[in-house]
Amino acid sequence: MYRKWLILGLAGLLVLGLGTASSSQQPTSITLVGFSGDTPVVQALLTELQRIGKLPAGVNVVWQPEAVDMRQRVLNDLAAGGAALADIYYIDVFWAPEVAATGRLQSLNDFIARSTDLGPNLRDKWLEPLVDAFEFDGQIYAIAKDFNSLVIWYNKDAFRRAGVAFPSNTDTWFDFLQKAQAVNRAAPAGTAAINLNPDPVRFLPFAFANGMPFMLGLCAPFATEEAITAAEFFSIPNRFGFGKTSADVGAGWPGAAFTAEKGFIVNEGGWMLGPILNENPTLDFGAAFLPLTPDGKRANYLFTVGYGIPAGLPSARAQTAFQVVEALVSKEANLFVLERLAIPPRKELLADPKSPLANPQNPFQAGARVVFEATGQPGTRPFTFGAVGGPAYLDTLGAALTKIFNKEATVRAAMEEAALNLNKLLVDKGLVPRGVCPGT
Amino acid sequence: MGGRLVRRLLCSYTLCMRTREELGWAFLFLLPLLWTLVVAFGYAFIRAVYFSFTEYDLFKPPSWVGLKNFNHLLEDSRFLLALSHTLVFSAIVTSVQTILALLLAVVVNQKLRGITLFRAGYYVPSISSSVVVTLIFAWLVHRRGVANFLLTALQQYALYLLVFAGAVALLHLLQLLWERWRWKAPTRFFDPLLLLTSLLGAALVTIGLHQLGVLRPRAVPPMEIAWVSTERTFLGVPLPLWSIMALNIWTTIPTFMVIFLAGLQDVPKELYEAAELDGAGSWQKLWYVTVPALRPVLFLVITLGLIGTLQMFDQVAVLAGLAPLDSIITLAYYIYWNMFGGGGLPRVGMASAAALFLALLTLAVVLLQRRFGISEKGVL
Repeated sequence: MYRKWLILGLAGLLVLGLGTASSSQQPTSITLVGFSGDTPVVQALLTELQRIGKLPAGVNVVWQPEAVDMRQRVLNDLAAGGAALADIYYIDVFWAPEVAATGRLQSLNDFIARSTDLGPNLRDKWLEPLVDAFEFDGQIYAIAKDFNSLVIWYNKDAFRRAGVAFPSNTDTWFDFLQKAQAVNRAAPAGTAAINLNPDPVRFLPFAFANGMPFMLGLCAPFATEEAITAAEFFSIPNRFGFGKTSADVGAGWPGAAFTAEKGFIVNEGGWMLGPILNENPTLDFGAAFLPLTPDGKRANYLFTVGYGIPAGLPSARAQTAFQVVEALVSKEANLFVLERLAIPPRKELLADPKSPLANPQNPFQAGARVVFEATGQPGTRPFTFGAVGGPAYLDTLGAALTKIFNKEATVRAAMEEAALNLNKLLVDKGLVPRGVCPGT
Repeated sequence: MGGRLVRRLLCSYTLCMRTREELGWAFLFLLPLLWTLVVAFGYAFIRAVYFSFTEYDLFKPPSWVGLKNFNHLLEDSRFLLALSHTLVFSAIVTSVQTILALLLAVVVNQKLRGITLFRAGYYVPSISSSVVVTLIFAWLVHRRGVANFLLTALQQYALYLLVFAGAVALLHLLQLLWERWRWKAPTRFFDPLLLLTSLLGAALVTIGLHQLGVLRPRAVPPMEIAWVSTERTFLGVPLPLWSIMALNIWTTIPTFMVIFLAGLQDVPKELYEAAELDGAGSWQKLWYVTVPALRPVLFLVITLGLIGTLQMFDQVAVLAGLAPLDSIITLAYYIYWNMFGGGGLPRVGMASAAALFLALLTLAVVLLQRRFGISEKGVL
């Protein structure tokens, strides 16, 4: 009997102690969940922001790297809600629309309007497409932290060896192909001028520039003449021998072929800078915009990740989380990440004397500036696929490009087949009634 | 009353637990396993069954739709494709890996010097990381990979191989005739010493013809077959799926080899001795002694093979970034694709319906195999 009362008493004390402990805790820890690959940069940035007093007083930012699948993590956390929620999440433009559509992300409009740094209008500070990328129905759900778009990276030595002018921002598709062919003639054995994979992400900007709509009404646009012509252009180097895939030259991706000097022209984003710096820092390289269509049009993809806040947080905590976001995208933070070759979103950095973007001193900073300017060009669109879904759109197109590169089908036949396959998928996903699109 | 009933049941079926304390301890030790079974399997299974009759995307409450998801599955061209891939994959891989694992087990069951080394060597593929092995395999079968290099070399040196084979045959025949004439008695066709002499002689002939310039490698363009990143088919099955089959067979054989090897230890030697007395050769001993004696093990291996192949996921997932999805999709990957990979919010209802279908399919195939194929007690 005595022991029973003793156990009950101790349990009571324990419950009381836990209650007191939890009630005395203040919301000082703000959790930030992002790609695990960003860990070194984020930790260095947080240390720097802490050092210069940019983080809100008394707030400790806890970095939680997500190593498996960020989209899955965000969807799971938002669906679970409550204690599962972190305070700030990376939101990738690729899946931002579907996450915003859940209604579980906080609209940041009011916070931005009140912000002395970002407000009242984020478009005054950020490149326009970077705001568009996360704005749905007039509500901004994330603030871009950095970004990328595609540009042509070229090896200057290869062009000098061929006696050809470097690619320029005004090159058309034909200029580009002619220069590449000349570079190829002077290229060492086992290499090819262009390193290009049958990658739909690299292809689509050319198709959009050539007038291919994202969707042809409710149906796949791949069988349009604009798409087929773009696919002809895109595949010419590999079909005619002056282009190779990265695996053809023993590289994991075109960037690796470029840094190893097994390919001299690649169509990649600003993510090229890090590998060049780490693996071939003396490489003499330059960057130029993607070539123009014969009638002078250009398009591009914007790849970006923003900071988003879940809707389920208490208002005070959401406000603190936003203050942390403000610090993470402050001008100091932008300059800090720029030094580490990420490309931050503030327009003013192009003219700010403190910014390497304003006055590039080396090819890395010059390359970053080209990417920055390329993103601001008309025709740049967020890398997102709406209700159709990126995997469905890209898988069908990728299969067609693979067939073209493998010479298993003509360009027209492969693109027409891709259109039919996407149409079938749209029916399977319940997005289009049967019989509306060809092949269904 | 309840406790007494449990005790009575336990007493009647297994060992008799004499005291209440013993029973308590038993349940206490069983608790972690029971908890895992109930939560991770029982609860999850019941939820999946429920979700399969609903439309649910994790955010809106599930809405009951009856059999709509199952009807939709049967109309979904990608599901039907995944189903056909899965059945073909399972049939081919299970058959081939079972036969090869059995043969390999018989081979490494010999009492030879250094056989342990071979046993360990053959087992390496099974203990290697599936993801790493798959990535290496993807490079081997790449357009400029080792597989295409060997095929190119085969074309280049086809004439050399023909000359070599012809020379071996000729020299062997001459030696056999010589031996027969010399000793006036028949000589074994596969006499190792004669065979070795023929091989060496044929090699010398081939090298000599090459040195004299009679034989030259053929100039052929390098083979650039895309084994993985292609939609081309062979016998109606996509090439990438054949590649995954080959990989899966290679990585699974060693595990089954070990199971067969354990079974072989229990086959009475007297059976082989009796078969030898009856004049049975190696193949007859294998077919009429080993295989029937291993029937329970064979049933286990086939059942494990069927379950593993019907639920094939990891190697498909690794190759999904390299091959067109429609060339490699299996039912397990279809479930994942609906839940996480297809863009848009998760289609939990569809994924659950497909998962339930796969579970029932697995059960049905295993039971059908047991009924009409090889069972632990049945007749071969």
